[in-house]
Amino acid sequence: MTNITNNEERFMGLTHGQVFVYTLMTVISILFLFITNAYLFRMNFEDWNPVPIPSMLWVNTGSLVLASVGMAWAKSGAKRSSVQTIKVGLIIGGLFAVTFVTGQTLAWQELTSSGYFLTINPANTFFYLITALHAMHVIGGVAAWFYVTLKTFKRDQLILQPESIGLLGSYWHYMLLVWVLLFMLLLTT
Amino acid sequence: MEQGANYEGQPIHEPTGWWSRYVFSQDHKIIALQYISVALAIGLTGMFLSLMMRMQLGFPGLFESIDAGSYYQDVTMHGMIMVIYLLTALFLGGFGNYLIPLMLGSRDMAFPFVNMLSFWVYFLSVIILVSSFFVESGPTGAGWTLYPPQSILEGTPGGDGAGIILMLASLAVFIIAFTMGGLNYITTVLQSRAKGMTLMRMPLIIWCIFLATFLGLLAFPALLVGAIMLIFDRVLETSFFMPEIFKGGEVLDYGGGSPVLFQHLFWFFGHPEVYIIALPAFGIISELISCHARKNIFGYNMMVWALIAIAGIAFIVWAHHMYVAGMNPYLGFFFATTTLIIAIPTAIKVYNWVITLWDANIKMTVPMLYCLAFLITFLIGGLTGLFLGNVAVDVPLSDTYFVVGHFHMVMAVSPVLALYGGLYHWYPSVTGRMLDDTLGQIHFWITFVGTYLIYFPMHYIGFLGVPRRYYSNDQYDFIPQSVNDLNQFITICALIVGAAQFILLYNFVVSLYKGKEAGPNPWGACTLEWQALESPPGHGNWGEKLPVVYRWPYDYGLPGATADFVPQNVPDEQIT
Repeated sequence: MTNITNNEERFMGLTHGQVFVYTLMTVISILFLFITNAYLFRMNFEDWNPVPIPSMLWVNTGSLVLASVGMAWAKSGAKRSSVQTIKVGLIIGGLFAVTFVTGQTLAWQELTSSGYFLTINPANTFFYLITALHAMHVIGGVAAWFYVTLKTFKRDQLILQPESIGLLGSYWHYMLLVWVLLFMLLLTT
Repeated sequence: MEQGANYEGQPIHEPTGWWSRYVFSQDHKIIALQYISVALAIGLTGMFLSLMMRMQLGFPGLFESIDAGSYYQDVTMHGMIMVIYLLTALFLGGFGNYLIPLMLGSRDMAFPFVNMLSFWVYFLSVIILVSSFFVESGPTGAGWTLYPPQSILEGTPGGDGAGIILMLASLAVFIIAFTMGGLNYITTVLQSRAKGMTLMRMPLIIWCIFLATFLGLLAFPALLVGAIMLIFDRVLETSFFMPEIFKGGEVLDYGGGSPVLFQHLFWFFGHPEVYIIALPAFGIISELISCHARKNIFGYNMMVWALIAIAGIAFIVWAHHMYVAGMNPYLGFFFATTTLIIAIPTAIKVYNWVITLWDANIKMTVPMLYCLAFLITFLIGGLTGLFLGNVAVDVPLSDTYFVVGHFHMVMAVSPVLALYGGLYHWYPSVTGRMLDDTLGQIHFWITFVGTYLIYFPMHYIGFLGVPRRYYSNDQYDFIPQSVNDLNQFITICALIVGAAQFILLYNFVVSLYKGKEAGPNPWGACTLEWQALESPPGHGNWGEKLPVVYRWPYDYGLPGATADFVPQNVPDEQIT
């Protein structure tokens, strides 16, 4: 390894990670925009039979809110360089995100046990597809959370990773926003 | 070379062994070569498939192995390979990876590990695609647009087997690879420019790759959504796109879906895809034309804004591919209007290239020949696009060979001409040696004249109303014998042009060992990739210190300067 020097033009004072994550969020938004468009297009057809919203989704929404709160806590800890706050915030944020995904699978079970199988109606298919796509993006976030948390707990005194924790927090808030919009779509149609 | 001061230290990880240097390399230059190699290899496969199609059209029945099913498989795989796995991958993965860090004066991509992953995931998508040739029912033969319902039903080659699933899976994997690469290109362009390299000092090709990447990142999700939903319809028998279908008097399990929904999703991706390919080609031409005509590019700012306009409008023209899908005529009018409007920024670019050439010191190098050929070909392809953009003209010409002639001129031959120009231009930067000029000239003239002999007649065949996608013209009285004769002629030309591509490959290999030493800047270019300390540039590109940029990338024939070019990293006081 050699030390080299670096001096670069940057865009609007953003960091590399911020540009990467914000662009990724834009791409994910487009993905959900298309699936929402397809949903709104398809629901106008005669065979559309809306799915009753499983009560579990309300609990899951609460979990995701708590996950977001936890991550906001970790972010504030990173700003103040408070190792304890970061650790507690990360644990809350991560655990409630996992709870959310687990809760979503329980919601699917609730639906299937009432006979709302995936292939019976396009509304069912969309319900499973949309919730699964969102859950997959949360799982992707959990993978990143796992990596950052592991590093934080290993070398907490040396590296607090304020940027990584900040970006993780932004992604958590973003996932909550996407979920709230999707949940509203499912509730109102 | 002038260097910057007050730098902050940053580590650079040298590869430690053969595997990390050449296989799982995180160096953008090696990743670029990996992309180029794989894309060219799969592109050769795509070319071979097109020759199979031409053999059937020119000499029907000559090869017994080509039946209707395999013909449609060849058509489908040829289209998909050329558009996605060759051109998109080569322009953005190949040229993008090689040029972005070097032209911007940075050490590497912003996230080298993600960049490496991007290539390997792309490679995986190619493997999945190629594996469909080896499954029982073969690859899908649904046409590159993969329209349901026929794409996932029995009767269409690969429709009831694994062919269509492998195609859709391969596309999904490709999109993941593209997203990883694309996020890197965006971050690097915005964040890793050398000091002084403002956005409006970036070479036009970087603008083009940057905007094409944005187009890809915003358009590919539409294809991903379509592909996932189509896999659901195929595997789980859901009905996103599948209407009620009777087969042999029997009702299938599908019902209520909309095939037109898939068309919208596909073309929302499909039309920007044209510009994902075209914009990097525009960029290559801008660089080459200025350098080989020894004159600064005309209207740089206007070129940038025209590119941004093209990228924006590219998202609101998609339904001109669907005029015959039964859309509301008012909607057709809207899309015809936007289609014609996109011709304005495109024309600005063409005029600017032509004005750049005006009164210039044009060097008839091989890259310049490709530039001139591109200008003519793109103009012709663009003009026939004006025909097809109008609903009233499109409806009778839809699904005829006129369309095949049009899109091959505008988005196959034109980008490939730019691509070849780019390969001849940057080969010395990659290898340190020049490509053989005579072989380059022979390759150029056969390719240029040959492609015209192939695609020009198709416009006339189209005017006669000969439908595209037909396996055989035998049983149609309205198709005269002259069409069959012309088809024979086209096939012979295609075989010659196909064979001529091996001249390029031969030139590549031989010049690597026997080519003339290129030296650091053989074309006398102003851009940074030619100003590295080492030629070819080593790991980290710039040695100890990054370059500093003092000027725009097209300072050719600067008044008061002795040399006819001033590189971007030379300050005013050092100009002699």
